[in-house]
Amino acid sequence: MKLNEFIIPEDLKSAQSALEKLGEKGFAVAGGTSLHFLSVVEKTAVDISHLGLSGIQKQGGAYLIGATTSLGDLMKFKDQGWVLDQVALHTSTQQIRNISTLGGNIVRVFPWNDFPVALLALDATMYIEGVAEKAYPADDYFEGQPIRLFKPGQLLTRVEVPALKTGQGFGYHKEVRLHAGFSLMTAAAVITVKSGRIDGIRVAASAGIALPSRLPLVEAALGGQPAAAASLQQAVANGTATLAWKGKEGMSDEYAAHLGRVVLMDVLSAALLQAQGE
Amino acid sequence: MKNTRHLSFSVNGELKEFLVAPDEKLLDLLRREGLTGTKHGCGTGSCGSCTVIMDGKTIYSCILYAFQAEGRAIETIEGVGDFDNPHPLQTALVEEGAVQCGFCIPGIVLSAKALLAEIPKPTDAELKVYMDGNLCRCTGYEKIEVALHKVIAAGSCGGAK
Repeated sequence: MKLNEFIIPEDLKSAQSALEKLGEKGFAVAGGTSLHFLSVVEKTAVDISHLGLSGIQKQGGAYLIGATTSLGDLMKFKDQGWVLDQVALHTSTQQIRNISTLGGNIVRVFPWNDFPVALLALDATMYIEGVAEKAYPADDYFEGQPIRLFKPGQLLTRVEVPALKTGQGFGYHKEVRLHAGFSLMTAAAVITVKSGRIDGIRVAASAGIALPSRLPLVEAALGGQPAAAASLQQAVANGTATLAWKGKEGMSDEYAAHLGRVVLMDVLSAALLQAQGE
Repeated sequence: MKNTRHLSFSVNGELKEFLVAPDEKLLDLLRREGLTGTKHGCGTGSCGSCTVIMDGKTIYSCILYAFQAEGRAIETIEGVGDFDNPHPLQTALVEEGAVQCGFCIPGIVLSAKALLAEIPKPTDAELKVYMDGNLCRCTGYEKIEVALHKVIAAGSCGGAK
């Protein structure tokens, strides 16, 4: 990214107005750590880090997270039902966590990004503000590259994440070769157990597949099944057979498929144990 | 320089004004201001030798645009201690033989200082998390860890500004 100018607006409306006027030439910057991956086209940066879009609040049964909340703050926040600390802890290094933002991790999605997978499993909602605010469930938001949803001047302002309830469990795993390295395989799952059966399941993966996605065949294979390890094994074996796993950094596609199944078993097992109160 | 602007932020407790170019990194600004204790290592936000503290939190100055520091408080190694008046962390690192080539040490000191200001008695797990962004290619980390544990045990850095 080559920056030829920068603007430091005083409020959200000024930032939106500046970005609208700039159109393709403008770019919102909060943490800025992803800029190095982007094009060399000259752009004007609009710094949105001072606009009061940071912080975490619990409201009813959900957490409202400002888009410019740092991953470090997500890691440090603790509450019953809060699980994004587990995701942030495994994202890069402390210096990066301190400056990278949740919004930056999910506005432009790279295969190795950590939060889209977790937000898909958690059934989060993303809020984009233009003239009016519009809410996007995770399934719609991550259906393609999220940037497609933004018109010039529109910004992601907050993310709503349901708090885990009793009877629910969360599992998350990111496989890396080196500490702080980009993910080779990421998966996350939320399981709801009722009367000894799997009453609800959302599972998502990335890095080993093209973009963060839910795994509908695994979910379909698990719904209504006994809350037991055998159900997980069968669902992972049958539900991933047709997935197009992609190897990288020396991994063959075949190895990626094996790694994917191992990682999925890990996250499903962790989610099931937590849902069962263990 | 094209499209330069005057911005102000504090460096080691002193509010200063700087002429900043849009694509200038904070690291380059600090070094041209003579604060060369902040080292240029990888330049890609991986090694930690460019670590500074911004508003109490460590960041990589090599990947932060200088304009992002507007209105903030930056602390560099020059604000921590020097040869005549070293910080307890610097003393411990020297005493434990944790300094070999020394290139990573300013970043190590600043990461440890930010950690101990936030968590005066960190667990081993917390220590590893907060220090995970600083690479050292000489010591193998063991002596650095021993030095940090010495400071933690002595409580000589708890809540340090």
